[in-house]
Amino acid sequence: MEQDRVERTVHIAATTQRVWEILTTPEHIGRWFGSGTPATVDLRPDGVMVLEPAHGERYLTRVVKADPPHYFAYRWASAHPDVLADDTNSTLVEFYITADGDGTRLKVCESGFASLTIPAGRERFASYESHSQGWTDVLQGIAEYSETAAEHGTS
Amino acid sequence: MTTVLLGQADELFAALAEPNRRLILERLGTHGGATATTLAGDLPVTRQAVTQHLAVLESVDLVSSAKSGRERRYTVHVEPLTAAASWMNQVATQWDTRLAAIKALAEAPLPSRPTPKEKP
Repeated sequence: MEQDRVERTVHIAATTQRVWEILTTPEHIGRWFGSGTPATVDLRPDGVMVLEPAHGERYLTRVVKADPPHYFAYRWASAHPDVLADDTNSTLVEFYITADGDGTRLKVCESGFASLTIPAGRERFASYESHSQGWTDVLQGIAEYSETAAEHGTS
Repeated sequence: MTTVLLGQADELFAALAEPNRRLILERLGTHGGATATTLAGDLPVTRQAVTQHLAVLESVDLVSSAKSGRERRYTVHVEPLTAAASWMNQVATQWDTRLAAIKALAEAPLPSRPTPKEKP
């Protein structure tokens, strides 16, 4: 499952403590993930963090672990607004905060796309057994393949 | 919106999760279209299995078919594939945007306090 993830890193000229504050306090979350309104956050394990990326769009994420100022993880059911994230409907979002010179290295990983439960009614089409190849490979292959297919000019 | 994209990608991923279905797509691309019989001759599966896989692929609009004599001839749709391939990139791009926002907030000067810092 190593490749079933998106991973991004940024260097920040601020202390790990400061980055932690931005990541986890309501008014800041409301700004980096939201429409500006302070978010509702309960940082205890299984606590709910409400994310509102846009007006009328609301996600009930579930905190997995908050270990200040090093690690913050929550589950996010991005395909299911207003539904509390659980192990089957969501991806895992993890932040790794490490001191890096004078500043901080912040890494985010979102993983678990391939194990998302398929919406009701789609089950008979679904087969998630074969993930061993990794989604990046699959998508890479598809991208290359698409270009080839395009050259063939199928219509 | 993100939600819609994820929903669509979900179905595509499900359809593409089966290795034989990916093989079928590749074969269709190579041949520029084929019937179930032709595909079955080319793959380690029965014609019946190929037909079922094609039905799944057609349900998510990855292939389309048209009658050709006594059989149906299948062709590939490139657009959904391209969409699926670019989807992970979109997720990554959204995180880049959020990380940039976090960086900007963290690096912004702290708001001035009501009481001056240094007063002897």
